[in-house]
Amino acid sequence: MPPTNGEGVVSARDRIAHSTIQGIRARLVTVCLGSVALALGAIVLAPLAGSTSISLAHAFDLTRPWASNVDAQIFFVARLPRVLAAALVGSALAASGVVFQALLRNPLATPFTLGISSGAALGAMLVLTIGGAFAATTWAAVPAASFAGALAAVSIVYALAAARHRGFSTSVLLLAGVTLNSFFSALILMLQYFADMASVMQTLRWLLGDLDVASYTPIVVALPMLVVAITAFLVLAPRLNLLSVSIDAAAMRGVDVVRTQRISFLSASLATGAAVSIGGPIGFVGIIVPHLVRLIVGPDHRLALPASLGFGAAFLVACDLVGRTVIAPLELPVGIVTAVIGGPFFLWLLVKHAQ
Amino acid sequence: MLSARNVSFAYPTRRGGDRSRAAVRNVSIDVGQGTFIGVLGPNGSGKSTLLKLLGRLLTPDAGTVTLDGRPLGAWPRQAVARRVAMVPQETHPAFDYTVLDLVLMGRYPHLGALAIEGPSDLAIARDALRATGMSAFESRLFSTLSGGEKQRVVIAGALAQQADVLLLDEPTASLDPGHQLEIAALLVELNRTRALGLLLSTHDLNLAASVCHDLVMLSEGMVIGTGPTGDVLTGANIERLYGIRADVRFHPEAGHLTVVPLRHLS
Amino acid sequence: MLNRRIGTRTILAALVIGLTLGLSLQAQTKPSRIISLVPGATEMLFAIGAGPRMVAVSSYDKEPPEVTSLPRVGALIDPDVERILSLKPDLIVVYGSQHDLAQQMGRAGIAHFSYVHGGLPDIFRTIRELSARTGDMEQGERVVKGIEATLADVAKRVAGRPRPKTMIVFGREPGALRNVYASGGYGFLHDVLAIAGGDDVFSDVKRESVQASTELILTRAPEVIVELRADDESAPDPAVWQTLASVPAVRNNRIVLLTGSDLVTAGPRIGQATLRLAKALHPEAF
Repeated sequence: MPPTNGEGVVSARDRIAHSTIQGIRARLVTVCLGSVALALGAIVLAPLAGSTSISLAHAFDLTRPWASNVDAQIFFVARLPRVLAAALVGSALAASGVVFQALLRNPLATPFTLGISSGAALGAMLVLTIGGAFAATTWAAVPAASFAGALAAVSIVYALAAARHRGFSTSVLLLAGVTLNSFFSALILMLQYFADMASVMQTLRWLLGDLDVASYTPIVVALPMLVVAITAFLVLAPRLNLLSVSIDAAAMRGVDVVRTQRISFLSASLATGAAVSIGGPIGFVGIIVPHLVRLIVGPDHRLALPASLGFGAAFLVACDLVGRTVIAPLELPVGIVTAVIGGPFFLWLLVKHAQ
Repeated sequence: MLSARNVSFAYPTRRGGDRSRAAVRNVSIDVGQGTFIGVLGPNGSGKSTLLKLLGRLLTPDAGTVTLDGRPLGAWPRQAVARRVAMVPQETHPAFDYTVLDLVLMGRYPHLGALAIEGPSDLAIARDALRATGMSAFESRLFSTLSGGEKQRVVIAGALAQQADVLLLDEPTASLDPGHQLEIAALLVELNRTRALGLLLSTHDLNLAASVCHDLVMLSEGMVIGTGPTGDVLTGANIERLYGIRADVRFHPEAGHLTVVPLRHLS
Repeated sequence: MLNRRIGTRTILAALVIGLTLGLSLQAQTKPSRIISLVPGATEMLFAIGAGPRMVAVSSYDKEPPEVTSLPRVGALIDPDVERILSLKPDLIVVYGSQHDLAQQMGRAGIAHFSYVHGGLPDIFRTIRELSARTGDMEQGERVVKGIEATLADVAKRVAGRPRPKTMIVFGREPGALRNVYASGGYGFLHDVLAIAGGDDVFSDVKRESVQASTELILTRAPEVIVELRADDESAPDPAVWQTLASVPAVRNNRIVLLTGSDLVTAGPRIGQATLRLAKALHPEAF
């Protein structure tokens, strides 16, 4: 324990976090602008790089016919949708991570702690292994099924936690989520066991995460859901601050605790479900980014949430860029890149947290 | 200001509520300006429940809690928060907030829809820190503070709420004697200089004797004695409440009654 | 007196001769209870005439039709050891990676054949080695010669014709252009494609399978895209390729769907598979 005479150890964070006490509003503006700039920067720069070198002049040359303009196709079909998907998925997972950590009052919670990703995986797996003829009819088969799976998981967990007189019990939420995770994982393994090799290979690949959407449609479809969820996050931010300090104190300060917890859970689940439906269950984004963001802007959710949006977008865009260039012409699945970065980071967090 | 009239409450049990094990039974209590009430009782006597009922964290099954004459339920949530604040026994923030962060959170009931603090909120927060002697700790991380310092910060947070009534749930239970005296002195000063109404639940009889003007004795959810400290804090009452033989006498140097537990009575 | 001379030495000699004869006889006995965990090997066994001597096959076996009546004993991940032992085989064909299983079989006194996956030459080698083990070497050689003849015929027909850049896709997400798996520079698909008169766009990638990203497909710009399906349960959806408008195969509508397990099984039907592929690439030559 540091000395307690007021002249104890003052960490860098002490100094950074409140060097500009006067301008709380100013800090808010700075963080929001910075976040947007970071995300936009990533979205603009990332498509410029890739496993192939292309001519930007050709890509943007409108006089060339589309059907023969390989550079344009690589930029606008292969790279840009992919970068946009990465930005959306990254910001959704990062912000959901922040919200779940506040809801469960635990900095080690992730968007996948409560069973959402295993529900989504089960949905996707069902289509990939026994979907057969239905699956081939539409690009949306796998994403829709995984979203449905996520919804199913969320509904079960929510129903258990919001039962009767409880109002909303986060401990039941956690227990239900963890149990559902195990149960769905077992079902997934069973599906893989009985499926043929090709399906198993497809499902295993889906689990590693893939952002190569090659189309703007999944992005356009997911966008409204993400906008709704993120709006909810930003409105909830001050209440999340209070909740994360003390639930009783939050209630005593006028926060409708049950309502806040419900809306937090549902909006974060919506964002996570949409993200997993686009790119599969990409891990570690939902825990690395919230922690990095808190290290930089502090734990105030009014700052951490906007910051995690921009940072999460940039982070996943960067990870995907690494994945698609580092062993070209082959690719490293983005889930592996985030795991390789995230695993050691997570361990470091656990060690630090234990002190 | 804040009154409870014949309130009763029982925690719902799994089998649909066994009313015979009510946590609080038919309790009445008044917290007015400048009052300083101590609620005494053994573990499980309903002290925390009573505080939660007064703070609108729980709704009574019977009886009413009123603020300025109106039932608590009729008040908008944030309006109650501007009048009544709670200091819990322990505060464990899930994230690494600074002292100022936490005190500023006390301003929440006064903020508008966007919930962004302005310069006046900052001034009030700093004022609260000054009142609790924690100004120098403004930029410190809450987690690096000692027990006594933490409690002072939490009290500052409650002060920032600009409430008239402070409900304190065993505020010195986890503190060493030095910090206990600190907090006790702080509370006395706040009560005197700001005319705050303080309701303190504790099973530390000496603390209650040193600071409280009035005492309420709670046993198994029922009031078994109430009145000025000097009248209520007797050996006989302590025996009834805790089942122990204790020596109660006025300590000249301390300036208040002191209680020395002697032995357990079977 | 004659009786006494038929003494210990004689009995010993008789024993030695008898044992030697017995052992050599056993060595020359063909395995009569064969199990195969590898679908390709099952087909080979039937092709070389060892079919009637098979007592069980893997869970995934579908060809030839005779296997439907045979019991199933699992496959790569889940071999049913109990069932295998209860059938008392004298030869079992296992995957090269199933070391534990091979050891178990050894301990139970069951001979095993390790099937190692590879390219086209490995298919011929396996047929020959397998037929040596089952005592059907003549048949085995005939099967190999038959396949080689088919391949030679194909090669002759496509000789001199322009070889299109071809991408063979053997797996992707249904209904979408996600997680596309294509044949790389190794393996029997690559070898088959070479004989069928096509150039694998991923020849330079020394792997059997390549997960082709959108950017990679656009860059390699295949002139023909062949999609392989093991069965025709799932409906063909070539429309998914339309977003890659600059790919010659898409522009010129040369997206071919070939269904059938002969194309994805490294077995005796590889000759006819090559023929089908060649017809798809060079229809005018047939």
